[in-house]
Amino acid sequence: MLLRGSGQHAGQTYDDRFAIDAETDSGVSHARLLLDFAEACVARSVELSGRREALRKTLGEAALVDAAATIAIFQAVVKVADATGIPLEDAKAEISAEFRAELGLNAFVAE
Amino acid sequence: MSEIREDLSAAHARAWLRLAAPGAWLTGAEKVAIAAEARAALDCLACAQRKAALSPEQPIPAHASPSGLDTAWVDLIHRIRTDADRLTPAWFASVVPSILSVERYVETVGVIAEATAVDSFMTAMGMPLWPLPAPLAGELTGVRPEAAKLAGAWVPTVAPEDVSSAGPELVQAMYRNRSAANIHRALSLVPEAVNGFFDLDDAMYLPDAFLRKFEEEPRAITHAQIELLATRVSALNRCLY
Repeated sequence: MLLRGSGQHAGQTYDDRFAIDAETDSGVSHARLLLDFAEACVARSVELSGRREALRKTLGEAALVDAAATIAIFQAVVKVADATGIPLEDAKAEISAEFRAELGLNAFVAE
Repeated sequence: MSEIREDLSAAHARAWLRLAAPGAWLTGAEKVAIAAEARAALDCLACAQRKAALSPEQPIPAHASPSGLDTAWVDLIHRIRTDADRLTPAWFASVVPSILSVERYVETVGVIAEATAVDSFMTAMGMPLWPLPAPLAGELTGVRPEAAKLAGAWVPTVAPEDVSSAGPELVQAMYRNRSAANIHRALSLVPEAVNGFFDLDDAMYLPDAFLRKFEEEPRAITHAQIELLATRVSALNRCLY
């Protein structure tokens, strides 16, 4: 939802299907480079080193640090959410209903 | 050698100080042991076997455990670290309160989260993990907010509107400059856990004040790039929230 807000501010429409389909062109600048890095981090893949260097070479050291920090804190945020069973806020649930249904995200709910 | 933002390194250093110190319901030794288990879980063969199994309830061998914690507590930590998306209310009911009181459970989640954030960052950067700190002795604070109640989550939480200005500073600080989002409430049974985790979150993600301030870019990547990463990481972890 914040991505959509960011897109509205920039006068762009980002395609959020990238969340479940890595091949989707989101329209976000350097998305492929960032997503490749994120996927290698989450999977602790042998490709992590190469993807880190690719990101560093293209976007620079400071961008690499901020990308790594974002990925790392969300690796933790999901554990807080999953281990405490917090629900999605009513307002967010309403706004995101179509988006969640379209992407099949409701399958992620613990029952 | 990578150049890490000073405020980010400082936030990580504060997280490690918190880890070593006694908390509300866990000693410093217990917290450091939890962080050690969270770290060990990533290379634990039993965890890999469970992750690959159709059901997380399938029997697995003993965990690779570096701490002296009780085996049931170790299993709980490893499961949250490596298979959190398959946690269920039934699982939660099977571990709280029989293995941990709900207060100790929530603080355990907070420790796992902070250790995960710092370790994941160092791994992402290709840098060595911080050595775990030596635990500090001291008294537990034992602060349980009076306003905590069950309200949709598995654990009792405190609604921001229920925080009294007459209450302890630890409790009042939880929602200062923060929205009422449920992620802020998740650990609120243990105020230290909220204040600690979001101290880290402000430095690693964005302070709340910047979340919708799209005209300002306080990081070296844009709001859109940050949200792209946050969304994809959440989806890869199969987390709806």
